[in-house]
Amino acid sequence: MDTKGKVKDVVVKLLKVRPEELKEGQTLEQSLGVDSTEMVEVCIALQKEFGVQLGEKEVTKYQTLDQIAGVINKKKG
Amino acid sequence: MKKIAITGIGIVAPSGIDKKVFWANIKAGRSEIKTIDRYDAQLYPSHIGGQIHQLDAYSHISSRLLQKIDPFSHMALIASEMALKDAGIDLTKENLNHIGIFMGNALGGWLYGETELRDLYIEGREGVSPYMASAWFPAAPQGQVSIYYGIKGYSKTVVSDRASSLMAIGHGAKVLGKDKLDFILAGGMEAPLSPYGLLCCNTNGDLSVDNEHPESAYKPFDKNRAGFVVGEGAGIMIFEPQERVQARGRKPYGYITGYGTTCDGVDRIKANPDGKELARAIRMALDDAGYKPQDIDYISLDGAATIEGDVSEAAAIKDVFGSRAAHLPVSAPKTMFGNLLGASGAVDIIITLLAMEHSLIPPTLNLKDVDPRCAGLDYVREKARPAEIHKALVISRGRGGINAVVALEKVK
Repeated sequence: MDTKGKVKDVVVKLLKVRPEELKEGQTLEQSLGVDSTEMVEVCIALQKEFGVQLGEKEVTKYQTLDQIAGVINKKKG
Repeated sequence: MKKIAITGIGIVAPSGIDKKVFWANIKAGRSEIKTIDRYDAQLYPSHIGGQIHQLDAYSHISSRLLQKIDPFSHMALIASEMALKDAGIDLTKENLNHIGIFMGNALGGWLYGETELRDLYIEGREGVSPYMASAWFPAAPQGQVSIYYGIKGYSKTVVSDRASSLMAIGHGAKVLGKDKLDFILAGGMEAPLSPYGLLCCNTNGDLSVDNEHPESAYKPFDKNRAGFVVGEGAGIMIFEPQERVQARGRKPYGYITGYGTTCDGVDRIKANPDGKELARAIRMALDDAGYKPQDIDYISLDGAATIEGDVSEAAAIKDVFGSRAAHLPVSAPKTMFGNLLGASGAVDIIITLLAMEHSLIPPTLNLKDVDPRCAGLDYVREKARPAEIHKALVISRGRGGINAVVALEKVK
């Protein structure tokens, strides 16, 4: 599974939402109405999944899955 | 005080989730107190209680939200939805700024709290859910109900031990009487059966340890009393001004007509055995309602099943009602499902309203040999007794000598 697929998987499992609720090209806030506290959880889960440190300003609810995957891929080098 | 109509009932209790099932069990005098079986509680001095099963079967809450809240908020959300539906209220047609929420809770959401504390010690700071901060504290259910429906009017949570919900209801009715809100949700919730919650209740020393006989362990006013038994649940009602109810063409269950509250000011745990301050709270509620003692047809008792609690409660009733006390039916139906602590007063009001509707006084279970110090009252025991109830009182008390009394009236 590519990074984007894994990010999607983490979000779906963590927030207990259906995969189809995450719309292509939409930010997490737009598609799921993610709030800032949920985003803290998402960040921690992504750090555990990918073994990278993610600052709260690097991964936000205003980003799409593609953008979040991009940040992680860059960190992983 | 201004008469306030009660138009909707939401009940989530060991005796039933939904008022029909609940009342059928209460009417039948069926005990729902059992050995706690959701985890191994055998080592706790008291490991019996009134548990709620199949909460999820009645739930309209998403899995996404459920992982952020404690069961006490979950129960409050279910009871609120039931109450709103029962009252026939469509929130899309209401001004959400003019709706209030008044809740009572004593302990907070310990299942969430203790689970996250375990994670803190095992996994460290990052193992703790960011929802910990908003899940465990006593006002969390009020907040969750407010968020769920977008309700934005003046609201409040009262923490006052076992008297919490009765005090929230009394306060809420007073606020509504000042015409500041269109209607309110009022009641309480409690979830004390988590491993740590139950341990805290046990350290109090007031719980019955008659674990071999769960159904008969809770026997207030009996000379063989052994303390009370805890239970979990929520009771939430819709309170509306009379004019609004008339305009909506609804028939209320009854009215809340008076409220009184006092403190004993004697001991950090025990009630003052003389019952003087409880008597003053009863008189306060009667005066507030414009009633005389002879108007009252039934009293729903607190029934703590502690010596000081029982003796002072009986003394207060005899003090206020004099010779009539011997002919005034009283009972503690919570002996059937456990003491829901902060939610107990709300549930007692619901039972009293249903008793008025069905002209049937629910019994106190397990009261066989009345303690001579509590004698002189007309205890309804073992079986429900048919009786017309036009006006009633509900008594709820908390540790440290908190006394709260609400007056209720049947719809003519």
